[in-house]
Amino acid sequence: MEASWSTPPPSPSSSSPPQSSPGAADPQLRRFVEVETQRQRAQQLVHHLTELCWEKCVDKPGPRLDRRAEVCLVNCVERFIDTSQFILNRLEQTHRARPLLSGSLAD
Amino acid sequence: MAELGEADEAELQRLVAAEQQKAQFTAQVHHFMELCWDKCVEKPGNRLDSRTENCLSSCVDRFIDTTLAITSRFAQMVQKGGQ
Repeated sequence: MEASWSTPPPSPSSSSPPQSSPGAADPQLRRFVEVETQRQRAQQLVHHLTELCWEKCVDKPGPRLDRRAEVCLVNCVERFIDTSQFILNRLEQTHRARPLLSGSLAD
Repeated sequence: MAELGEADEAELQRLVAAEQQKAQFTAQVHHFMELCWDKCVEKPGNRLDSRTENCLSSCVDRFIDTTLAITSRFAQMVQKGGQ
């Protein structure tokens, strides 16, 4: 389900691949897939963050988004990134200390 | 696809294994995020304070301990029961 304000998908760089060399179609297609994948990932992240931060920051929905909720939302996004980085560092430490662990933690 | 020489085949396998490891690690980070965000971050402030950081460290460590405990208990049960 798309949010109404989400950006429309980018169009591929050219409408049709050149006919002369079959290999030339590959980089364009590859580029298109790259961009599309990144766009999807960004959108997924936005949806995920919206869910998380809605929970944390909006208790009782009022007639508008008040200043306190706005500040909370900004903090929420930033703290989410900080937390991800923190956990990443922590896991790197753990993997270095106990390398046998990586097998059992794999989902 | 043309037949790969042995060296190329080995290189390809190495690359695939490296990518798999990276993907696994990333999946772990996401998994821990889900678990520990709720437990440790109540109301997001303007920085990660030390209480939150301690909670996050504990969260990661305790989850790993839990995984190990359950794994070893399960292995025990399988060994004893054999059913």
